[in-house]
Order: sequence, then C-alpha cells, then structure tokens
Amino acid sequence: MEDVLDEVVSSEDLKKFERVYHEQLHASNVTQNAQFEYAWCLVRSKYSADIRKGIILLEDLFNKEGEALKRDCIYYLAIGNARIKEYTKALSYVRAFLQIEPGNQQVQHLETTIKKKMEKEGLVGMAVAGGVIIGLASILGLGIAMAKKG
Amino acid sequence: MDQEVLTTLKLLMIGETNVGKSSILLRFTEDEFNENMQSTVGMDYKTKQITIDGNTVKLAIWDTAGQERFRTLTPSYYRDGQGAILMFDVTDRHTFTKLETWLNELNTYCNKIDIVKMVVGNKNDLPNREVSMEEGLEFARRHQTLYIESSAKTADGVRCCFEELVEKIIQTPGLWEANSTRMYGGDSLGGTRHRLGKRGVQLTDDYEPQNPYSNCYCSLV
Repeated sequence: MEDVLDEVVSSEDLKKFERVYHEQLHASNVTQNAQFEYAWCLVRSKYSADIRKGIILLEDLFNKEGEALKRDCIYYLAIGNARIKEYTKALSYVRAFLQIEPGNQQVQHLETTIKKKMEKEGLVGMAVAGGVIIGLASILGLGIAMAKKG
Repeated sequence: MDQEVLTTLKLLMIGETNVGKSSILLRFTEDEFNENMQSTVGMDYKTKQITIDGNTVKLAIWDTAGQERFRTLTPSYYRDGQGAILMFDVTDRHTFTKLETWLNELNTYCNKIDIVKMVVGNKNDLPNREVSMEEGLEFARRHQTLYIESSAKTADGVRCCFEELVEKIIQTPGLWEANSTRMYGGDSLGGTRHRLGKRGVQLTDDYEPQNPYSNCYCSLV
C-alpha cells in the first residue's frame, strides 16, 4: 500500500457494518454513527458500486446536522471520489475542507496524493497516444517499403 | 532510495485524542512541527525508510484518530501490526489513565501476539507535568513494553522512539519476514543473515524461543 487511496476495507468489516446499518434501516431508525461507519467501509471497498453507494450515504449525512460529522464526511467524500477517479469532485471536497482548516496536514497530503494520481494517469494516457503514433508510423513505413518493392 | 529494503514493517500509533500522535509522526517523517495540528479524520497513513545498523527497513505507519466516534472502526487497522506506539500526554493524567483501555483494545484486536509495544509520554517540553516519568516507567514495566518520553516540538526522543521500536521488532524472530523479492535473489537471505549477524542477532532456524513480551524498558530522556 502506497497511500490512503490504496487502502481496502476487509470484507468482514464491510459485512459487519452493513448488517448494523440494515438492521437499523429495517427498524426505520438509522443512527448517524451507523450510517457513517457503513459509508466509511463502503468508500474503501474495491468495488466502485460500493464506493458510489458510500458517497450517497455520506452526501446524505453531510446535509444533516453536526459540524464534526460534516468534517468527517467531506474527508471521506474526497477519498471515495478519488477512488472512483472522479478527481475533480475529489479535489473540490479537499478544497472545501481546506477552506475551513487551511493548515490541515492530513488533507494537504491527500490533495498532493490525488494530484500525483492525476498526473500519473495523464502520463499513462500520453504513453498510449504515443504508442498509437508509433504503430501508425510503422504501418505507414511498411506500406512505403512494400510500395517500393512493388 | 537505492538501498535494498530488508522488510516492510507495519507500525500503529494509538492513544487518546490530542496527545500528539500525528505531531510525532510529522516530526519523524518531515522533521516539521505544526503548533495548530488538527485532529486526524479516521486514519492517516505515512511511509518512511530508515536504516538501522546497516539494515534499511520501510515503515508503513498507521496513524489512527483518537476521537471517540472513530473507536468502532479503528481496531480493524490493528491487524498484522508488528509494532505499536501507545501515546499519552505527560501534562494530562486522563490520557495516561486511558492507556490501559488502549492496551486492552490492542491485545484484543491485534493478531500478532508478540507485537512490540512502546509507551510514549509526549509533550515532555511542557512545564505543567501531571504524570511523572517514574509512573510512566512503572506502567511500562508492568505491561512489559518499551518506554520513552518525547516532544514533537523540540524533536526530543522522536527518532529514538521509532529506532528503538524497529530494533526490537527486528530482534524478534518470527515477527517479520524479509521482502519476498530478496528471497528469490540467490543467496540474498544469507546476506541478510550475515548483515544481521554483524550486530550479533542470529536468524537461524534453531533460535531460542523468546518470551513473546518484551521485558525491557528504556528511558532515553
């Protein structure tokens, strides 16, 4: 594991907090804690469908009361969005957080991590484009060579 | 870094909120101090390489939030931890009293019974002490952990804390494994043994079974 975005929740944890949440949901009495804990597990899942579900739960929590919870929600909304490569969204959450706590090292570090990821993937994209150009050039070259032969 | 990494160790930082876990980590990894460090959200993660007696190890350090509302989820991070830093604030007795709970939690959730534990009394630069070093040492002795006092502000004891902990882990056979890439590299394992051998630690198959708990403590203040 290289950074916080690589961290994956264990399936036992996911199941455990899913059960608590669903029990409360069934009784129509979901506590903010249960919702947050389940969402925290979901955004660290290896499946993007889980992450998206976690993001919905966090967005819902964010609109409820509680300043401390809002802070936690924004952080994990940034993590969740970065993990499904919604980098622009992730960075907007990071910036929202830093507007309230400009000196927060943990979030500053997350911002750097996300930017590095974007850069890395941007370069990968360029490498693919480069490969296509080389491929085209070789086909073209081959065509010219064959034309000369003929 | 181009030096060959012997192994990667998972270290945990636990303790009450506001005792200075993230500050110690920031001092250790970046050699910085932030007077207005905000409380950690959930969990933070940092890596750092250190070289001790010629052995380079990569440290994967998990900095957990001390706040109550994260308490249900943080124990998941204890899994496979090889070293734990249990921190309290020497100017706040409550954080020292709570160490017992943190230690219990660690013993409950950590699957490695011989995980090396170190109690760290932080903020020892401040004048208004509430917990004496004797009390800290006594606690460490009773629970068979290492002990050190530190200050993220002055950097006192910070490097030493991590170095002592890592040294103790490396000296505990069976607690760690050499990097798998090294295993396939011919006699690289022998090389490891040789390098460790230089400092008198043997990594042979017939080692003396050790007490799973460290019975030493240190005071390096």
